[in-house]
Amino acid sequence: MHELTRILHVEDDPSIQAVAKVALEAVGGFKVLSCSSGQDALDQVQGFAPDFILLDVMMPGMDGPQTLKKISALIDIGQIPVAFMTAKVQPAEIEHYRSLGARDVIIKPFDPMQLAEQVRRIWSQARG
Amino acid sequence: MVEPSNDLQRHLQLLSAQFAERLAQELPELAGKAQLLRDANDQESQRQHLLSLRDQLHKLAGAAGTFGFVSLGQRTQALEQQAIRWLDALQQEQQGLHDFIADLQQLSQQQFQIELAQESTPATPKTAKSSSATHCIYILEDEPTIGENMRLTLSNFGYQAEHFTRIADLDAALQRQLPDALVIDVNLPGEAQTGLNYAAALQQRLDEPLPLLVITTQDDFTTQLEAVRAGAMGFFSKPVDIPQLENRLERCFAQQYGEPYRVLIVDDDRELASRYSLVLRSANMLVEALNDPADIFSHMRTFNPEVVLLDVNMPGCTGPELAQIIRLNDDWLRVPIIYLSAETDISRQMSALLKAGDDFVTKPISDNALVAAVFARAQRARLLSNALSRDSLTGLLKHADIKEQVAIELERALRGGSQASVVMLDIDHFKKVNDSYGHPAGDNVIRALANLLRQRLRRVDSLGRYGGEEFLAVLPECPPEQAQRIIDEIRQRFADLRFIVEGTEFAVTLSAGISCTDADISASELLERADRALYAAKESGRDRVCQAD
Repeated sequence: MHELTRILHVEDDPSIQAVAKVALEAVGGFKVLSCSSGQDALDQVQGFAPDFILLDVMMPGMDGPQTLKKISALIDIGQIPVAFMTAKVQPAEIEHYRSLGARDVIIKPFDPMQLAEQVRRIWSQARG
Repeated sequence: MVEPSNDLQRHLQLLSAQFAERLAQELPELAGKAQLLRDANDQESQRQHLLSLRDQLHKLAGAAGTFGFVSLGQRTQALEQQAIRWLDALQQEQQGLHDFIADLQQLSQQQFQIELAQESTPATPKTAKSSSATHCIYILEDEPTIGENMRLTLSNFGYQAEHFTRIADLDAALQRQLPDALVIDVNLPGEAQTGLNYAAALQQRLDEPLPLLVITTQDDFTTQLEAVRAGAMGFFSKPVDIPQLENRLERCFAQQYGEPYRVLIVDDDRELASRYSLVLRSANMLVEALNDPADIFSHMRTFNPEVVLLDVNMPGCTGPELAQIIRLNDDWLRVPIIYLSAETDISRQMSALLKAGDDFVTKPISDNALVAAVFARAQRARLLSNALSRDSLTGLLKHADIKEQVAIELERALRGGSQASVVMLDIDHFKKVNDSYGHPAGDNVIRALANLLRQRLRRVDSLGRYGGEEFLAVLPECPPEQAQRIIDEIRQRFADLRFIVEGTEFAVTLSAGISCTDADISASELLERADRALYAAKESGRDRVCQAD
């Protein structure tokens, strides 16, 4: 059975990028590759071969939904779950992101001590 | 695979502190954008400024709460929602926009603190260490005037310092909050024990020892040995040269809160590689592990390691071969390479080292020995690389680099439509300091000014040593009036410092000249104008800050 070890994190804010990396690596024991833009993620996703992708919604240039659309042309997001991260909380929006192919939404601000667990939960649900 | 929680906690605290520094820059930026919004006279430019505000507020709202700035997170989220409403409603009404702008400007005036104790954080120590970006120092000194003077001086340097004359008072304060460092006088005639005995017992009680500086009238070997045993990181004879003491504090904190070292491990044994990663991570280093030597280039480039750990025996490519490949690239000449190997044959180790590489660590190795070996190499490598681009006395940028910074900021200011200020500072009558008190005293004065500037300026500001006693600072997004206020405050604080050489106290002043970017000025003109303003400050009596005409 496939395991959750490698996470691709796409986020343009350096502070959030750093804290998520520390939280996922130290608490969850995952291997994290941080990308600063959607384009960066597209360039690296196949080489890194992640088990899970965390995608910020609001990024300059290519935003989260656009990135997701392009990534799903490169890899099978049925096998590699994608979750959005955003500060917006309207339920309608969460539904909208699901309809784009995301498994779930992690709300910002997040608790660094809990992030790894949240990711693991979404991953397990996605894997059935 | 969980990192010991206190290391993780420290790492998160460091990231929060870095975020706090970012706030110091971003909140004024918000106020600046609010100002632009207020000054905008057509709807299209209003819309542009609102969009930019909305994006920045959105980022802050997401990040602030994550780093524990709960109320800032809530405020920015509410403001973001308002910005969105305004974007929809601009045509209908302009009335309430004024309140929105006032709210934004008020936000940037406010001080935000990290609000601790979310339920899910792992057990925090009984008394939490101060977590703000300002370092907190407790001083135990029974002579009130000396202690008070020390407190004032350290406050001038930007520390949050508190002074106690009695052990009981210090104990009470320690119950409330632990400081980031302690300064303790050894000789306390009114107390039942010496300051050192007290400090030694205190360090035993703490989970982690505190950085300790000791002041004393006896500087004999026995006292120094006792001080080291109590965990002292600095030892100062009375009368204390406070700027020198401050310099030591600064070094302690740089070591403690500096960026984690980056280590790359190449080992075909996955389990071993992840074991080493775990050990080094728990010592607060950033680690990437690599199982296939062929991936080395991409990792060297993206991760930019400060130390490389290589397994000697790997299929396809041996450690020494890989080390030679790394050394083929000029960019990586400075990166120390340590071999990991079961090889105990000295002559074979030697031949590996002769090809390339710097050190040998023999497997099996204890966790502590591995950390020590990597730490020592990484520390040395970082010091060396800083030494090459930074001035050795002050740790600031050198002449050419700071000059380049002027050109970079000028260009950025022109592109962004903001103003940057360039400040030339010079210590008054510096030659007299050297002549009367000797060169070591002069060096000390230069270092004190460097530290003071570093403490008082923002992280985005660049700072360099321009010449012997001349400094150059570049302050992006800082109009000349604001630069004048900042530099004048530094001038006053510097004049308030008291230096001591062999019992003689003296003070030194500085003069400064400020020039400011505008549309058709070159970098060299900017420097010339600042220099002329400095000259004017000198001519009109020194100890003052002048603007270029």
